[in-house]
Amino acid sequence: MPHPGWQGFRFDGIGTSWEISTPAPLPPVLRSSVLAEVERYDSTWSRFREDSLVARIAAAPGQYELPPEAAGLAALYRQLYTLSGGAMTPLIGESLERLGYDPQYSLRPRGEAAAPPAWDAVLEWHGTSLRTTAPVVLDIGAAGKGQLVDLLAEQLGSHGVPEFFIDASGDLLNGSTEDGGQEPVQVALEHPYDATKAIGTVPLGSGALCASASNRRAWGDGLHHVLDGTTGAPVRTVVAAWALADTALEADALATALFLVPAEDLERHFRFSWLKVFSNGSAEYSAEFEGRLFT
Amino acid sequence: MKPSIRKTVFAGMAGLSLAGTVAGCAPSAQQPAAQETEPSAPASASATASAAPGPSAGAAAGYKDGTYSADGNYKSPNGTETVGVQLTLAGGTVSAVEITEHPSNPNTRKFQGEFAGGIADQVVGKSLDEINVSKVAGSSLTSGGFNQAVEAIKAQAL
Repeated sequence: MPHPGWQGFRFDGIGTSWEISTPAPLPPVLRSSVLAEVERYDSTWSRFREDSLVARIAAAPGQYELPPEAAGLAALYRQLYTLSGGAMTPLIGESLERLGYDPQYSLRPRGEAAAPPAWDAVLEWHGTSLRTTAPVVLDIGAAGKGQLVDLLAEQLGSHGVPEFFIDASGDLLNGSTEDGGQEPVQVALEHPYDATKAIGTVPLGSGALCASASNRRAWGDGLHHVLDGTTGAPVRTVVAAWALADTALEADALATALFLVPAEDLERHFRFSWLKVFSNGSAEYSAEFEGRLFT
Repeated sequence: MKPSIRKTVFAGMAGLSLAGTVAGCAPSAQQPAAQETEPSAPASASATASAAPGPSAGAAAGYKDGTYSADGNYKSPNGTETVGVQLTLAGGTVSAVEITEHPSNPNTRKFQGEFAGGIADQVVGKSLDEINVSKVAGSSLTSGGFNQAVEAIKAQAL
């Protein structure tokens, strides 16, 4: 628990484990509402479900109306797509499937890595309106979990739960404020190669801390799930990145963007703090992480 | 062209750069492999190289004085990475070994770049049991389906 005496509500959603901590147990109606929102999000955006909207988009080009949260995804992905020169793209699903990260989890490459199509060649995505000119495999994995964290936070807020802490398997949002009398939560930064260890600790006040690591969804010989959208090949060298931001959507997306875009470039466009760890064991970080790492 | 001295240098170098902490804990870091190395200058004369660094570098005959450089690949936990090594032979003895890092390497970039925050040469892991925290930020928990598939492939590979 982030604070002594708090209660946890645990569940599985979008393929991972969640825990929402609150000072008092969540009422059953709110729990049901949370689970329904998780299911709605999964049934829209999952690349791994045959019945999802993303699966329908992958089956045939056309005009699609997306749910409201699509607007936030479109804006953020478009910005990071531009900043990364196409390396970070929601079209990366096709490249992931080609390397074996497909709905069947075959984990067997079907050929050499290949870049997905350019955004403007196949996608017109404005707000909740999506038009595709070819079957495309959308993968919003770099931001989706963070966005769902934010959506659940909205639900809690709208149901009059002012204080909460959401842990989506290591992507974290602290919904408490220091003004509200809660101390920041001390958070360990998971060692990229050993989940029983940490490489540092950082206090998380109000806001989100998300991580991205290349080694966790790795399936052999340099293949992992963080791909460069300009080549479709896995990114080397950076093994883990963390981002602190106001929203989990931004923190999640920026944690992945740190693999693909120099942090200085991102700092010009986003208010966030960051930490990158490289495969040789060195690290680079913004001021927020100064003195927070074990060396 | 004798590959032994190059291999020794590369193995020693790769071991050095992977020996610490974060990198050293990765399973694949235990077998740094030096592969596909070619010297940029031919080595075929008759001097004796006897002072190569590294505990297992024995004497190797047949090297000509000069400076040799080569790129080496090694498996880091995150895939193949490239480093350069420059080796100077004088009087049949290795008089200098220089590791030349490529621009894509973070070690090089950290000297070139300007960062608002800071740099740590090596971060180290501490057991979570030793740290007073209630939450962990990371990505160790992945989907059940993914982990099952990995296990299935491992089983098939036995």
